[in-house]
Amino acid sequence: MNNKKTIYILLLCLFNNFILNSQILKNLTSSYESFSAYYLDDSKTGDFSYDKRFRSNNYFNLKSNIGNNWNFELQIESYAPKSLLNYSENFEKTNISTFKIDYNKNNLSVSLGNFYEQFGSGMILRSWEDKDLGINNSIRGLNAKYRINDEINISTLIGNQKKGFKYSKGFIVGFNSEFDFSKAIKNNSTFLLGLSYVGRNDQKTKSDFYPEMTNLFSARIDYSSSSFYSNFEIVNKSENPVVIFGSLSDSFIKKGSAILLNSGYFKNGLGLDFTFRRLENMSLFSEREAFGNVYNESIVNYLPALTKQHDYSLTNLYVYAAQPNVSFQSPMLTKAGEIGIQTDLYYFIENETFFGGKYGTNLSINASVWNNLDGNFDFNNQKYETELLSFGEKYFSEISFEIRKKWSEKFDNIFLFVNQYYNKRLVEETTDEVKSNIIVLENTYKLNSNKSLRLELQHLSTKDDSKNWSAIALEFNLSSAFSIYFSDLYNYQNPEKDKKIHYYNAGGSYSKGINRYTVNYGRQRGGLVCTGGICRYVPESTGLSFGITTSFF
Amino acid sequence: MKNKILLSIISLIFTITQGIYSQDIMPSVYIKNISGKSINSKTTYNKKGLTVYSFWATWCVPCINELDNIHKEIEKWNEANVKIIAISTDDSRTKRRIRPLVNGKKWGFEILLDENQALKRALNISGIPHTIVTKGNRIIYRKMGYKPGEENDLYEFILKNSIAKN
Repeated sequence: MNNKKTIYILLLCLFNNFILNSQILKNLTSSYESFSAYYLDDSKTGDFSYDKRFRSNNYFNLKSNIGNNWNFELQIESYAPKSLLNYSENFEKTNISTFKIDYNKNNLSVSLGNFYEQFGSGMILRSWEDKDLGINNSIRGLNAKYRINDEINISTLIGNQKKGFKYSKGFIVGFNSEFDFSKAIKNNSTFLLGLSYVGRNDQKTKSDFYPEMTNLFSARIDYSSSSFYSNFEIVNKSENPVVIFGSLSDSFIKKGSAILLNSGYFKNGLGLDFTFRRLENMSLFSEREAFGNVYNESIVNYLPALTKQHDYSLTNLYVYAAQPNVSFQSPMLTKAGEIGIQTDLYYFIENETFFGGKYGTNLSINASVWNNLDGNFDFNNQKYETELLSFGEKYFSEISFEIRKKWSEKFDNIFLFVNQYYNKRLVEETTDEVKSNIIVLENTYKLNSNKSLRLELQHLSTKDDSKNWSAIALEFNLSSAFSIYFSDLYNYQNPEKDKKIHYYNAGGSYSKGINRYTVNYGRQRGGLVCTGGICRYVPESTGLSFGITTSFF
Repeated sequence: MKNKILLSIISLIFTITQGIYSQDIMPSVYIKNISGKSINSKTTYNKKGLTVYSFWATWCVPCINELDNIHKEIEKWNEANVKIIAISTDDSRTKRRIRPLVNGKKWGFEILLDENQALKRALNISGIPHTIVTKGNRIIYRKMGYKPGEENDLYEFILKNSIAKN
């Protein structure tokens, strides 16, 4: 028995020594992220009504390589005892989340395992990871890319899509090609052409009325010169059943399409951008049954709302989400997609001018309007025909105006005004519409080279929904490592007295190099929160939360 | 048997942790230049001095504050023989705002696009802003987050390491 033990320990030492001296370990790098919370009962918003008050999401990533050609990656994730609120139940316990082996040589790159990929703007395929949003829709399979020459790139992929720790039953297949015609033009401008194909095979929902396979084709061109750019993309999606009241229809089967046009002009000090997009029946899931799930699981393509992505809490109360789908709720509520435009203007007023002052002034304006598709909707017979370029009922519109001004070495300001219209009835398929005006004033005062104070004041005024809101945030950066903050959102005009709630938060962070530790106590409304220099999406809850981000042990 | 497996796993984890250190070479990943053409990230560094890679996005207020503050004293930075590259992590939702914003602000930095975050992932970057300084293609400095005034610390670091080189 003792001999056996000795041999075992000897073997273990040898094996570990082998690992320690091998090249794969010498090049090993790692990162660790952990987000935990202890949820509390709240006298205003109610008791914590789920099991496990303490919840924790943990991500441990290891990367290594052998020589220049071979790369390895492994990610272990742990959701123990349970995942944080607002994360899918498919993220359960501890498991290997992703693994990948890459081989790169000259112009060839082959990945085996979980890979992330995007074709064009992502309208037909995008797989990516966003821990804050709980998205990891990587594809497990094979991805090969080949650069034929400086002008032509091709790539192909096949695999199953990840959802939580599980995988889709069907497969996704794709092909992408990019051609660069810039040399042929010869005037210093760039001209690119892209052609892509994505096939989604869903073996979970078999039917005699529609095929297992859904095919999407995309063509795009991209032109840019020294002061102008323009790109144009069209997508065609093959016939697919419409989801009616949560189930796939056997008779209501439609094609989908997308058109995207983006153009811009710029010269020093001025930037202008214009975007038009039309989506009809365009969402795509690796499993058709995943349609409409709140965690964005199993999404194959990326169709973001083309509106200004705001950074302040009150500007994120009525956020528009893109409306790519067909939805027949009632004769008065029929949708087939969206059509709309967005424009941006940026202007820099030179320093040493009247409006520019000593340091110059930055101005920016954003405007967007998004509408339902116009057409003939026949609710009773479940049929519709849409017009190509005509605008239906409005979903959302917004105009925002921002001034950023540095007054002195010590003091600067950001002023933002936003006017929003949000058709809650049509977008969320409930009732109401909301017209609001939002004002934000951000002030930063530098006390010395590494101490500063930041004060954020916000107000939202509306006669609709839950009426007026105010918000305040104060951040004190004590040194380059320590930062503390306090913030409060208050729905002070809510018609229901017990819904006049303060969403207060207080916390601090310590960061040194790439190590960062945070602690927060308070009531979360949810949304994009930026403090201490980092932006994150936070779920709604009351409690104490901790975060660790590090690349060392 | 169970004990042996446990012991093996513990000893292996212990062994691995002995050898772990953070990424120190710029990885080789395909990103895009402002015109949309693919380039390899390992070819982007300043061959003659230091390179600052600042990961930002058009919607990230602290990121823009940091780059604005560097831009306001850009002559000082240029004298330190440093190449500043602002790597946008904007995805297709917001990437069309990059060129108007950069030109509206008159930033003179080289802008590269990491649209599906391949480089950000390869460098284990969890949040932005995130700043990396390389000497050749070796990473010598990393910092996440930005607080007003921190660009001065970064500048001091650059100055010290540029002088050390000469």
